Amino acid sequence: MIVVSQRPPTVRPQRRWTGTSGRRPPTAGRVLTYAVLVVLAVVVLVPIVWLALSSFKTQSELAQRPPSLLPKSFGLSNYSGALSTFDFSVYLRNSVIVTSAATVLTLVLNSTAAYALAKYNFRGRNLLFLVTLGTIMIPLQVIFIPVYQVATQLGLVNSLWGLIIPPAATPTGVFLIRQYMLSIPDELIEAGRIDGAGEFRIFWRIVLPQCKAPLAVLTIFSVLWRWNDFLWPLIISQSQRTYTLPVALAQFASQEVVPFNYILAMSVVSMLPVIIVFLFMQRKVMQGIASTGLK
Amino acid sequence: MSGSTVAPFRPGGVPRRGGRAPAGQGWAPWNQRLAPYLFVLPNMLIFGVFIIYPAINAFNVSRFDSRNGRTFTPVGARNYDRLFSDEDFWAAAWHTAVFVCCYVTLSVVVAIGLGILLNQRIRFRGFFRAVVFLPKLLSPVVVGLIFGWILDRRVGLLNNVLGAVGLPQPSWLTNGTLAMVCTVSAAIWLHVGFYTLIILAGLQGIDPTYYEAAQIDGATAAQRFRRITLPLLAPTTMVVLILSTIEGFQAFDFIYSLTGGGPVGATTLIVQYIYEHAFRSPVRYGLAAAGSVVLFCTIFALTLLNFWFGRRRESI
Repeated sequence: MIVVSQRPPTVRPQRRWTGTSGRRPPTAGRVLTYAVLVVLAVVVLVPIVWLALSSFKTQSELAQRPPSLLPKSFGLSNYSGALSTFDFSVYLRNSVIVTSAATVLTLVLNSTAAYALAKYNFRGRNLLFLVTLGTIMIPLQVIFIPVYQVATQLGLVNSLWGLIIPPAATPTGVFLIRQYMLSIPDELIEAGRIDGAGEFRIFWRIVLPQCKAPLAVLTIFSVLWRWNDFLWPLIISQSQRTYTLPVALAQFASQEVVPFNYILAMSVVSMLPVIIVFLFMQRKVMQGIASTGLK
Repeated sequence: MSGSTVAPFRPGGVPRRGGRAPAGQGWAPWNQRLAPYLFVLPNMLIFGVFIIYPAINAFNVSRFDSRNGRTFTPVGARNYDRLFSDEDFWAAAWHTAVFVCCYVTLSVVVAIGLGILLNQRIRFRGFFRAVVFLPKLLSPVVVGLIFGWILDRRVGLLNNVLGAVGLPQPSWLTNGTLAMVCTVSAAIWLHVGFYTLIILAGLQGIDPTYYEAAQIDGATAAQRFRRITLPLLAPTTMVVLILSTIEGFQAFDFIYSLTGGGPVGATTLIVQYIYEHAFRSPVRYGLAAAGSVVLFCTIFALTLLNFWFGRRRESI
């Protein structure tokens, strides 16, 4: 990024304006920088850590003033209680099913569409690409009433299919994979044809294995989107049978039917997979977002 | 591509101008001509059914009213008359305007500030960048829930900390103004990491030699920021501006669980207004449908305006 050799000899051999090597005494600016960053980390991490600690507390510990920092015990009774006495195991299962099925569907639908848009010349291709870009600009929040009507007519209300199918075709995913596929040499596909491979076989055996990087990014995105999705599941699941975890948490917390210690435990469950994904694939997630400007 | 008159064997298999060449010359086997359509079909079918058709149909839908969500009667433009004479709509529109203004301004300012901090050569830079970005990955509705609990007047963490150091302990979520402050803060907490990442990418695209030249010429840090960073970052700032505007108008999920739109509608924004009229009894479907068309047009117009201003600023 920074070409060191171009530095004029008059400048000190340290990038003074961007930072210090740490050997010089810290300037006021640097102290301020670290102070701001530490405050920032506290603001971000304290709610999460406080949630995690409190999810082990009993109801009376939660009502205590001032609250104790640590729970009396780290027993899992809140977790097991929420899963057994209230149907959180069902909601958790719904969330897992919807997230995994929708992600698989997204990968298949988006990669096939992206392949056609990237590697074939056919009538209507440019129009379809424009349509794809256009749909990025139409958020669900502004069209959920007509979308809901379509879902009603197709019998998708109160079914897990209704949570899986409509969000599975993502314009972002098509765009992401198409841009990557453009860089795959046409000769590779041509060679496959000469060897007598069928069109789908070429896609499946030659093109797709080249696209592991964008597919990985899209997998992460899709899991995050579907796992955290709220508005669409809220509209579609009107019976508790099809609640996903976020919908169940929001509905039960506002109605105060479920004890709050259970709500906290299930909130931790809803954050856990995301944080695990983040810890292991943080670099890939952030690169993917930075490179596409999409989320 | 190729100067020969005979159409070459092309990777797509199909003549360049999309099948315009007569059959038998430069044609591809039927399976190669059919394949792309089969490949795009499933995805485009879902786009068509669940995005494009509803978007086109949205205006049509807003000409009907329903009291129960099952039987619909055509009412023409009366939904809009009712919407514009509904006090709750104007309240929601006003709250949305306040929210979006605060949210967009803070997003841009905080993202640029954090972007510059995180672009420096500091210790634990990767850690701090990850921390800033982490909230974006959490479920907004769960975050709203947790914030509502932390901001609770009695048992909330914040008021207990404030009490311990002898500061006043306001009731954050039952005062309209404070509730709006909390809502904007929660929105910033959730989303600013994403904007910071975009700003960081923009900052890394600025050629460091500009700063070196400025340094030699004796420019102060403030001058370098005003004369180099801000102008060169303008296109990226524009992206953040547009994205945060759209995001602001769509705000719903974390508010639903943080304040529920309260107290007394003080944080009910337009999406929640639409949702409640469409899906909560008493159903006033016409208002919801008309409201979403108004929201659609507003977002569209503001995005165009943003683009236009961005263009003009660049040309000066």
